[in-house]
Amino acid sequence: MAGLELRNLEKSYGAVSVIEDINLTVADGEFVALVGPSGCGKSTILRMVAGLEEITGGDILIGDRVVNDLTPRERNIAMVFQSYALYPHMSVYRNLSFNLELAGKPKAEIERRVIQAARMLELEPLLERKPSQLSGGQRQRVAMGRAVVRDPSVFLFDEPLSNLDAKLRVQMRGEIKALHKKVGVTSIYVTHDQVEAMTLADRVVVLNRGVIQQSGSPMELYRRPANLFVAGFIGSPAMNFVDAVMQDGLARSAEGTDFAFAAGQKLAEGQAVVVGVRPEHLLVGGEGTAITGQISFVEPTGGQTFVTLDVHGRPVTVVISGEDDIALDGALTVRAAPHHVYVFDAASGERVSEN
Amino acid sequence: MTEAAPIDAATTASSGRRLSAGTQTYLYVSMLIIAGIVIIPLLTTALGGFKTLGELRGNPFGLPAEWQWSNYGNILTSQRYWMQMGNSLLIAGLTVFLTLLFASMAAFTFAHVKFFGSDFLLNYFLIGLMFPAATAILPLFIRIRDLGLLDTYWGVVLPQVAFGLGMSILLFRNYFKNLPPELFDAAFVDGAGYLRFFWHISLPLSRPIIATVGIISFVGSWNSYILPLIMLNSESKYPWPLGIMVYRGEFSTDWQLILAFITLTILPTVIVFFAAQKHIIAGLTAGAVK
Ligand SMILES: Nc1ncnc2c1ncn2[C@@H]1O[C@H](COP(=O)(O)OP(=O)(O)O)[C@@H](O)[C@H]1O
Ligand SMILES: [Mg+2]
Repeated sequence: MAGLELRNLEKSYGAVSVIEDINLTVADGEFVALVGPSGCGKSTILRMVAGLEEITGGDILIGDRVVNDLTPRERNIAMVFQSYALYPHMSVYRNLSFNLELAGKPKAEIERRVIQAARMLELEPLLERKPSQLSGGQRQRVAMGRAVVRDPSVFLFDEPLSNLDAKLRVQMRGEIKALHKKVGVTSIYVTHDQVEAMTLADRVVVLNRGVIQQSGSPMELYRRPANLFVAGFIGSPAMNFVDAVMQDGLARSAEGTDFAFAAGQKLAEGQAVVVGVRPEHLLVGGEGTAITGQISFVEPTGGQTFVTLDVHGRPVTVVISGEDDIALDGALTVRAAPHHVYVFDAASGERVSEN
Repeated sequence: MTEAAPIDAATTASSGRRLSAGTQTYLYVSMLIIAGIVIIPLLTTALGGFKTLGELRGNPFGLPAEWQWSNYGNILTSQRYWMQMGNSLLIAGLTVFLTLLFASMAAFTFAHVKFFGSDFLLNYFLIGLMFPAATAILPLFIRIRDLGLLDTYWGVVLPQVAFGLGMSILLFRNYFKNLPPELFDAAFVDGAGYLRFFWHISLPLSRPIIATVGIISFVGSWNSYILPLIMLNSESKYPWPLGIMVYRGEFSTDWQLILAFITLTILPTVIVFFAAQKHIIAGLTAGAVK
């Protein structure tokens, strides 16, 4: 087992820069989720760590060893692919044993380790089957077994759950978490799904356009997003935003709503800002800045109901408890408490409020 | 575990569309004509083998008046027939083995490794598709003579392999290229290099194309006439197609025996084709529907 460090990691394809100067340290045994929209370079980073992709600049360290020029085998990493990439012509047993076989391990040891991994992942009854005879969830499990069996220094997951249906995804999420508890191997988990990232990881790293936006515990990212991108990406439903201008210490929107908030730094009069409030922080009958709009549609999900208001032609999402007895037609007024109002500099996107 | 079984796509897919009666009749008639073009010469040959030479002259197409089983019997009991079959099998076997070996390895490289001049080299191989071996027979003869391979099996096998490579590499390469690239990643992470990936992943997944290339080169070798005729002198090395030479006398030719002999040499290929038909067609259309 070992930690992992990326130093000034860069990747470009010809003239196109895909990854710019990534610095990231993953502690020994830590579970880090790398999250960002599709195409932001997550897979590229993972593949560079695995040794499947050349790096353009910087260093990759596993333990204290620079592994830039080592093959995947020499790096002792294991990877779970989105498509599982099981060998279709091999039995489950052989899928699990293949890398041990290639490493020239003795037969008895291979068998012991395959059985052990199969037991851990409840694959024992399936060992003789071919991948085509397995369900999606079982294939996923074999893909994980293939990674577990070799006892790697680092686990790499590239969107391993995105081919599963919603229910199975939640179940496998739990199993991955349990697996990590059991084996405690340093892991990087790539996903575009922020809920998956938040629920699984000790630490979440938000990536956009090949640049790390913020790194922190799930709640840190939720409570104190460093910039507009993170604020909009983390949290579901997404944060509401409105353009505003600083006036007398308040942020005034174009429609003339004055948002009170705790400023984290000195803000110039007339400075262009963006105000953000999470849907779950817009409370009916709360206190703070009032926002009134016409209800344009209502989406009950059971415990919660999502209400979309039309505020001067702009949609604003509000989350209310499913049990709340509120008339859901006509106009609705909600309030945002000052400590729930996020303010970002419009030019740089950085958060300037205190929260 | 309590997972629902995946829905079988086949049960929900709709079956092919119905054809109008006119189109159907048209299809049947054209297929009957094509079948006739193929079957009539075969039948004529097989039946001709049961006639006497005299009857063959007067009645080339009809049923034999008296079935001359001895025509076939004599061939089947002659030692020459079986020896030449052995030669044919040996030449075809070597041709198939070497074609599969070289074509799959070259195609793997062309499919996965980009190196200086790789495109040029691939095109160079593909140019070979345009030259049937017969057109190059004289330079081939000289080359084989210079190599000292005249009157050896290799003098037939090597040119056959060389001329088959273009098509075989093309078929293999397309197939390898269509294998999912993640398999390569997974195997690489598992510790395989190119060689082991080729051996443990690419080849086992390529059975249909191996069957296709194997059968194409087998049939090519099996039917090859000009090449062994030029390269081989000793009758003891003749493959089957040259066997008919024996029945061509200086003054008269025993056509009925030639026909019987040809029938007996075609039969095994027909049997092999029917046995492997599924694979051949799967291999030829592989990658076309995805
Ligand atoms: N071989 C390649 N050549 C050029 N651009 C590539 C190549 N592979 C990936 N890219 C680009 O790199 C960016 C990041 O891709 P990727 O890492 O796969 O994103 P993600 O996994 O976050 O969805 C994308 O914009 C993609 O178009
Ligand atoms: Mg990706």
